[in-house]
Formats: sequence, structure tokens, C-alpha cells
Amino acid sequence: MSSTPRDGRDPSARVYAPDFLTDLFRNPLDPGYADAAARRREVPPSGLRRWAARPVTMVVVVVIGFLFSVAYRETIAEEPSRAKARVGLIAEIKQRESETDRLTARADQLREEVSRQRDAALSGSQASRLRNLEAGTGLRRVRGDGVVVRLADGAGDKDAVTGADGGPSRVLYSDLQKVANALWAAGAEAVAVNGQRLTATSTIRSAGEAILVDYRPVTGPYEVAAIGPGSMKGRFDDSRAASLMREVARTTGLSFGVKEAEGLTLPAAPQPRLRYAEPSVSPSPSPSGSGGAGSTSPGPSGSGTSPSPPGGGR
Amino acid sequence: MIAVLALLAGVILGVYLDPTVPAALQPYLPIAVVAALDAVFGGVRAKLDRIFDDKQFVVSFISNVLVAGLIVYLGDQLGVGGQLSTGVVVVLGVRIFGNVAAIRRHLFRA
Repeated sequence: MSSTPRDGRDPSARVYAPDFLTDLFRNPLDPGYADAAARRREVPPSGLRRWAARPVTMVVVVVIGFLFSVAYRETIAEEPSRAKARVGLIAEIKQRESETDRLTARADQLREEVSRQRDAALSGSQASRLRNLEAGTGLRRVRGDGVVVRLADGAGDKDAVTGADGGPSRVLYSDLQKVANALWAAGAEAVAVNGQRLTATSTIRSAGEAILVDYRPVTGPYEVAAIGPGSMKGRFDDSRAASLMREVARTTGLSFGVKEAEGLTLPAAPQPRLRYAEPSVSPSPSPSGSGGAGSTSPGPSGSGTSPSPPGGGR
Repeated sequence: MIAVLALLAGVILGVYLDPTVPAALQPYLPIAVVAALDAVFGGVRAKLDRIFDDKQFVVSFISNVLVAGLIVYLGDQLGVGGQLSTGVVVVLGVRIFGNVAAIRRHLFRA
């Protein structure tokens, strides 16, 4: 190759002494090979030396192969430990999820038990009043005819290059709020979003990309089911929210549909956490507003200033 | 040809013996592999250039591995182990690339 021996008297090599990186790029071969070749040309090595050197080289080559396979095995051996940790975490999540499901089922069962005992303890008129109140406030499973409003994100509106989504074609939490509020206004007695029953204190919020109903994420397509009188569909169709959503669905790719449904079953909402009123230290006590942006219910809402536990009346 | 067989023998030996690398040496294994690759490709190219020298090959392999390991060790002690091993990989990688390009020119005349 073009490499010059170190002791070569080539003047250009001295004038343009290349820096290390340039030399590295131009001449990647160890210059020692050229030196050795030059030396060999001058003084041919003795036969003994030649034959002693060859086995050493072979040993080194064996060592290199050994090194490769050891390194490969080490890398492979590390992989399972990483995967194992991941699998362990997944298993733990699954286990916790099933535990939560089990406890939820147990809570539901106990709740049934409580209400059954209560029904047995109460007189007939009181029990039926309690049942009606529970149905109205969303704490009891209800069945009946009503409407189902279906909203789904528009498809194909994503930017093919950047993956950025055009905002309007996604169902927003405010759309669900508007639909739920319009359904209440149209006379709905019970409303659920994707099987999540709405109560007086339910919230429909957005957290990043997700929509949370009572802090539980729901994903599209969204189905807002409502049980109410037969006139509800017509009144909902005439509502501002419905016409707005129709307009949105027409201009963007979002899908929006209203249909009547028979024999809807809406589950009970989880038991609300009871909040107790406490005397305020400030001179002007103000009842704390309950519920969030999506507080939607015609039902009786717990008064925050009652001295007795507000949950007692439910 | 013998060299290829020796390399294979080494690989099989490694698979068969299945040695456990001490934890202290594990960070240096990848660097040692890159240094060994550099020595191998340098040797192959020298062979094709007809200037292969056994002593040069052996010395370059051992010194490459030792120096690379030493640099990474020093870097670890100084808290810049990751950066220094990147530097070692870059330098050796450039050499490997250059030598492989020369081998390619030898083999394919292109």
C-alpha cells in the first residue's frame, strides 16, 4: 500500500505529517505489517523462526474465536434476565388486576347483601322509595328502554408523514359531556358511558389523549346509553348538542349516531366516597362545590353543609 | 484456510466449555471483541497484501485488547467509561471499515 516506512526519508511525509485521524482514515492497516515486510525483504528470517511463529498465530486465532463465542453467549445470557424482569412485571400487573377484579366482585356481592338485608329490614313503602332513589342516583342497576348515542373517532385523518392527528376528528371529552348533559335534559333517568354509570358527582375529563369517566379511562368507540321515556330520542335529536355533533360529524370524519334501544341494562356506579361536613374556620362558610366539569344529573345531589353524613339520605 | 478452521475451533471450544466470565471482566468483553475484530481484519488484509507477519498479528491482537481494556478501565475509574469506550469503538470501527474496504477491493476489484 501507499504507507511509507517510518524511517523513510520521503520529504513530503515530514512536511505534511498527517494528524492521527487523517492517518487513520487514509491508512487503516497497522503500519507494522509494512515494516515487517520491509524487514523481511532485507533479512529473510530463519526457517526455525518462521515455523515457531505459525503455531502462535493459530493459538491466537483460536483465542479470538473463543472470545467471539464467549461474548456471544454472554450477550444471549443477559437477554433472558431482562426479559425475565419484564415478564415478572407483567405477571405482577396481571395478578394485581385479577386481585382488583376479585375484590370488586366481592364488594358488589357485599353491596347486594347489604341492600337485601336493608330491604328485609325496611317496610315495603320505604324499601321501594329507597330503591327508586338508588336507581335515580345511579347506585342501583337499572334496566329499561332508551337510546344509545354512538360516537367514534374519525379514521384516516392522521397526517401520513408526521403522524400528527387532526384534532377535530377525535371525539373530545367535551363532546361526551355535551351528549350526556343533553340526554339528561331530554329526560334520561340513567346514563352510562361505555358501561360506566354516571351519577351526580361523575366527571368526564380528558387526561392527555385519554378520556376519563370517573377517573377510569374509556376508549372509543364511545357509547352513551340512556334509559328514559319514549320521547327522549326526539327531544335529544332536537337538542343543540345533537345538531352540533351532527354538524361536526358531517365536516370531519367523526361518526355520530343515535338509535333507540330496548332492554338496556345500566350497571350501578361504584359507591361514592362519603364526605363529612366539617366546621369551617373562615367566617363565611361556603359549601364546597361537588362534582367536576361533567357533573350531570337531575337527581338529588348530596348537600355539603348537612351536619349529618350526606350519604345517609341515599 | 487453517486460520478459518482455527477460528471455528475456537468458537466450538467456547460453546463446548461454556465458561463463565467474571463479573469484573464483563464490561470489557464487547471492547475486547471489537479489538479482536480489528486484529482479524487487519491480518486478513495484510494476508491479501502479501505482507502478513505472524509476530505482528499476535502482538497487534494482544496489545489491541490490552490497550482497549486499559482505556476503558481508566475511563471507568475517572467516571467517563462510557465516553472512552465510545472513542475506542469509533477508532477501531474506522480501522475495521477501512480494512474491510481494502479486502473488498482485493476480492472484487471494485
